[in-house]
Amino acid sequence: MSAAARKSVLVVTRHAQPGRSLARAALDTTLATAAFDQPVNLLFLGAGVLQLIPHQDSSAVGVRNLRKVIDSMPLYDVEHCYVDTDAAQRHGLTTADLPSGAILVDVAAQRALFDAHHHILGF
Amino acid sequence: MLHTLNCSPEHPALQDCLKLLRAEDALLLLGDGVYLALAQCSNGQALQATGAALYVLEADARAAGVHARLALGFNVVDDAGFVALTERHARQMAWY
Amino acid sequence: MGMAVALNYCLLIMAAPASGYTSLTAARFGAAVIAQGHILPRVFFLDGGTSNGLATAITAQDEKSPLTEWTQLATAHGTELVLCVSSAVKRGLLDSAEAQRHGFPAATAHPQFALGGLGLLVEAMQSADRVITFGAPE
Repeated sequence: MSAAARKSVLVVTRHAQPGRSLARAALDTTLATAAFDQPVNLLFLGAGVLQLIPHQDSSAVGVRNLRKVIDSMPLYDVEHCYVDTDAAQRHGLTTADLPSGAILVDVAAQRALFDAHHHILGF
Repeated sequence: MLHTLNCSPEHPALQDCLKLLRAEDALLLLGDGVYLALAQCSNGQALQATGAALYVLEADARAAGVHARLALGFNVVDDAGFVALTERHARQMAWY
Repeated sequence: MGMAVALNYCLLIMAAPASGYTSLTAARFGAAVIAQGHILPRVFFLDGGTSNGLATAITAQDEKSPLTEWTQLATAHGTELVLCVSSAVKRGLLDSAEAQRHGFPAATAHPQFALGGLGLLVEAMQSADRVITFGAPE
């Protein structure tokens, strides 16, 4: 497929995990899009930033550790992880807590992201 | 771009949507989102303040009994009208 | 016809049929897309949305069945209905191959729905002019 024919996708993840399986579905979709060499970015918005709290250990509840999946994103050619600045602040997340390479974005930058992609998937 | 909002007026998705909504955008209320189109709904007034074009899906508004008490400024669209909104706007963001 | 140019649509369904009526709205939207002269080659069901393909779901007689609405789209217009395989099997939705593989007597997914990977969503998004997502609060 030629580069011109490739349509970019913005995955917006707005729900905390593990309360909802939507968070996992958003990550799976992001990874699959990258695996097929399609341009994809991930935006953590609102309560979605809670997925980024460090030191998650889900072994006792018996589900996959999503933070580990998120940290592996650069390996799978996911272009960028963007994080809602206000929501991060509201939930006490500092830059040190975020995955490496994550970019904090204010409302203006979030709007610019929406405009810069062909398709938006809201999870 | 087109935003669709499918949640009750107290749901956090509304606040996320409100922040991003711009005057050049369109917003279609679906499901429990139609309650935002009730006259007297303060969150509905906040939506109006964004300057975005506001729409309510007819079947859902009728199902909720909201169609008879819509605030001014909310336009009712049927399914064909919903499709027309997606023709005019290349992108959609689903809030729920 | 709504527009002179037919657009290619892809629908992504995250809403489960038992929680509210969003999946009925989505199926009606799909029919309206086609009625307006556009094309809808594929609907992809993900997460809770995969329950739309459950063959054994029973709908009350005075209500519309999401299963019937979706399968009518497939029958009348050839729209492919794809259930994300990992979301589906987690919810007990198995096609005959998966049922056999896991030792169950019969498929639980409706035969007009196919189980497939997320690659089928990616592929549909690449050719689509419009991707429309339907989700619902729990």
